[in-house]
Amino acid sequence: MKQIVELTINGDPQSLAVEGHRSLLDTLREEAGLTGTKKGCDVGDCGACTVIVDGQPVNACLMLAVEAQGRNVETVEGMQQSIDILHPLQDAFMRHGASQCGFCTPGILMMARKLIEENPDPSDDEIRFGLSGNICRCTGYTKIFDAVRSAAAEIRAVRAQEETV
Amino acid sequence: MNKPANNLRNAFSTIGKSVKREDVIEKVTGEGVYVADLKPVGMLYGKIKRSEVAHARIKRIDVSKALAYPGVKAVLTHEDVPRVLHYGSPHPRSVSCTKDQYILDDKVRYWGEGVAAVAAISEEIADEALDLIEVEYEELPAVFTPEEAMKPGAPQIHEVGPGGNLVLDPVRVERGDVDKGFAEADFVLEGEFSGGRPMPGYMEPNVCLADWDGSGKLTFWTSTQSSFMVRGILAEVLGLPRTKVRVLVDHMGGGFGAKQDCFQHEFLCALLARETRKPVRMEFTRCETFLAGRSRHPFKLWLKQGFRKDGTITARDMRIVFDSGAYGSHSPGVTTVGTNSATSLYRCENVRLDGRAVYTNTPIAGAFRGYGVVQTYYALDIQMDEAAERLGMDPADLKLKNAVREGDIAPSGHAIVGHGLEACIEHGTRVFDWKGLRQGARCPDPAASHVRKGWGLGCEMHGSSAYPGIKEQGNALIKVNEDGSVTLMTGAAGLGTGAHTALAQIAAEELNMPFESVSVVHGDTDAVPWDIGAFASHTTYLVGSATRMAAAEARAGILRRAAEKLQTTADALDMVDGRIFLRASPDSGLTVAEAMGPTPGIPSANILGRGTYEPTKSYSFAAHFVEVTVDTETGLVTVDRVVPVHDVGKVIHPIAAAGQIEGGIQQGIGHTLTEDYIIDTETGRSLNAGLVDYKMPLSMDMPDIDTVILEAAPDPGGPWGAKGVGEDPIIAIGPAIANAIHDAIGVRFHHYPITPEDILNALNEKERQS
Repeated sequence: MKQIVELTINGDPQSLAVEGHRSLLDTLREEAGLTGTKKGCDVGDCGACTVIVDGQPVNACLMLAVEAQGRNVETVEGMQQSIDILHPLQDAFMRHGASQCGFCTPGILMMARKLIEENPDPSDDEIRFGLSGNICRCTGYTKIFDAVRSAAAEIRAVRAQEETV
Repeated sequence: MNKPANNLRNAFSTIGKSVKREDVIEKVTGEGVYVADLKPVGMLYGKIKRSEVAHARIKRIDVSKALAYPGVKAVLTHEDVPRVLHYGSPHPRSVSCTKDQYILDDKVRYWGEGVAAVAAISEEIADEALDLIEVEYEELPAVFTPEEAMKPGAPQIHEVGPGGNLVLDPVRVERGDVDKGFAEADFVLEGEFSGGRPMPGYMEPNVCLADWDGSGKLTFWTSTQSSFMVRGILAEVLGLPRTKVRVLVDHMGGGFGAKQDCFQHEFLCALLARETRKPVRMEFTRCETFLAGRSRHPFKLWLKQGFRKDGTITARDMRIVFDSGAYGSHSPGVTTVGTNSATSLYRCENVRLDGRAVYTNTPIAGAFRGYGVVQTYYALDIQMDEAAERLGMDPADLKLKNAVREGDIAPSGHAIVGHGLEACIEHGTRVFDWKGLRQGARCPDPAASHVRKGWGLGCEMHGSSAYPGIKEQGNALIKVNEDGSVTLMTGAAGLGTGAHTALAQIAAEELNMPFESVSVVHGDTDAVPWDIGAFASHTTYLVGSATRMAAAEARAGILRRAAEKLQTTADALDMVDGRIFLRASPDSGLTVAEAMGPTPGIPSANILGRGTYEPTKSYSFAAHFVEVTVDTETGLVTVDRVVPVHDVGKVIHPIAAAGQIEGGIQQGIGHTLTEDYIIDTETGRSLNAGLVDYKMPLSMDMPDIDTVILEAAPDPGGPWGAKGVGEDPIIAIGPAIANAIHDAIGVRFHHYPITPEDILNALNEKERQS
């Protein structure tokens, strides 16, 4: 039997009718029409479905939609700063070639955003550790590390400028 | 039509620059559409029932309970589908294909093979219905290794083929006089090599979506590298004209060669949709990407080479047996390419090679990056390292001495045109500080004597096309629009490599127009010119050349059109950066938009550039320099640093090319150290069909990679000399790691993956012997 789950997705209040066994991932993709979040394994091994729930990164395939009741979910579709302005991580992923097939990209972007928010100046080892739950099979990660470093530096520079103003 | 000359220019406007990839904005915003993101109204979910025995005849299959289950719309078994023997890998114009598959057969040949398919209104219902299908098997004796399969009297897996479980007749290559060569040798090295069953591990599980319209036309979205091949074989097996099958693919989440077959689920999805008159989507679970995907071929190889004291190779004798799994798929191509590759890389005039592919009751091996060459060059390069040790030579010096040269006969049978291997070895030796490092201590920290360092070199060469095995053809169309932009139409798939961007760069360069003025239409067999598929590291080389030809024709058309408007002749005009002007007075001129748009008396123009290119062969080269740490207490090998030096001819998009190299290294580290899809040799069951037990290198496991791209040997066959890069890195990294492990601990490994257990066992054995 379906039940109504009320939650916030990328700032919008949503009311979705879902069956109890439905994962948050399937709910986002099939019910909310947000297909940016990808299904790479459906068992929590690959990180392609990483979303942010109440500030914490989550494998959306391992969370039931009903568990998201009343919570705040952020996906790649909500990452842009405005309709015209990409998040610095999105821009850096484009510039540095950090996205090849792109299937892991939404999950890695969400995880990297969380990483940079918690640690604005991550070391290389901290970036590696921070992304250790996300499989990318195309890039060898080198370009992803470059992009995360570059975006973190850009965000720090903007903050520093804001603080001096 | 003549191909534009590779006139050397000092400055390029677009190629050689890492422009923003045209497709990446959609990837970073989540807007890119992959097949699993599509959900037409009324869509059903398809699922496949898979065999739980490795080799059997289906005595009875009862689907009545499944059909009666609420929400189930159709169930198909071998009794319901067309019985047409077909290719798994039907490359058009290929000499090497094997027709050995039915959509569904009354026989199963491996554990995990599909035996029935269900369409239902939800994925859950489809899954539950699978359990209601009753299959009664008459089990047949099974063989799980080529050794068992090749024994006289072994159970035969197929009725077709040359017999003895061979997929094809042995591939035999003989050059020179091998016996004389061995007689002239000062010493001979002989060894046996083997390798596991690595998987491509693309992140997007195979997925397709079928929809039939009222006129009986099938629209088929699928994650494929070869949409025209899928169209061709679907049409053939379903008995349709090509125009009644439209294959679509926009974004796809990787393929690495394996998404070149026409898969069982693709036929079944199309048939379920026809049966139910509803769109049906079928998406693999991650487990199914193992069971029903395609692996690299496991192999056994015997290699014997004769050497003179000066390091010259006098003779080479090699036999290789590839494990094809239950179906032929790409075995003919892999066996041909892999076997022939051993004629080269390191020069030898006297060569005798024998390559075979053998059916076993295991999951299907297919095309995977490196295509048979990963296996042969792993053995060849390691044995060169052994020869250097025996000779007391530096391995880099020995490999350099024997490196393939200009004019040598390549594996394809053609003379090598550009030879970049020497440059790669020489350059890498310097930037890696090879000689300096190898003189250093193997135990850098005396307080931790169990931690040892080693340095290794691995080399490779690989063709930028499948010629001569497949007579390839690259096609491109360029349409000039009335606003001065151009549209490139290509059938080349976008696996994620950035191929469409490279093609757009090539078009912009030849047109001499801004990169931004080129847009790319792809992935629709109804709209784009025929394409052979994105494989064999050939897209930039092959389709790039066709694109350049199309652009040259479009440019000529634009200039003719401008000449009409300017009341002059086209040869009086030039176009630079999208601006057309009289050569005699460069300050006056017009834009492409002004030339193309309608003016009173002159309608808008219909200008189309066409390019068709049939290549022969070019080779790319690489030398990988690797530093490893071996913990002799745990057996753990860490790859610390890689300097991959690649000759790819003219590089079109440096960041994308480097991305190919670094990704190939990641997969190569995987198959060399940790990745092996294991099949139980008692039952044929898959033992590790998932991403936890099948261990791929992740962010914590990756070394520092300092990629070096040389433009040492541009090939006249590619656009401005560009060659392939996709497959090369995965070939060189394996032997580099194995050689580095030997350098660290003095143990030779002739197999992959080299696991911590193997390291510890070998060290114990070494200690016992000393």
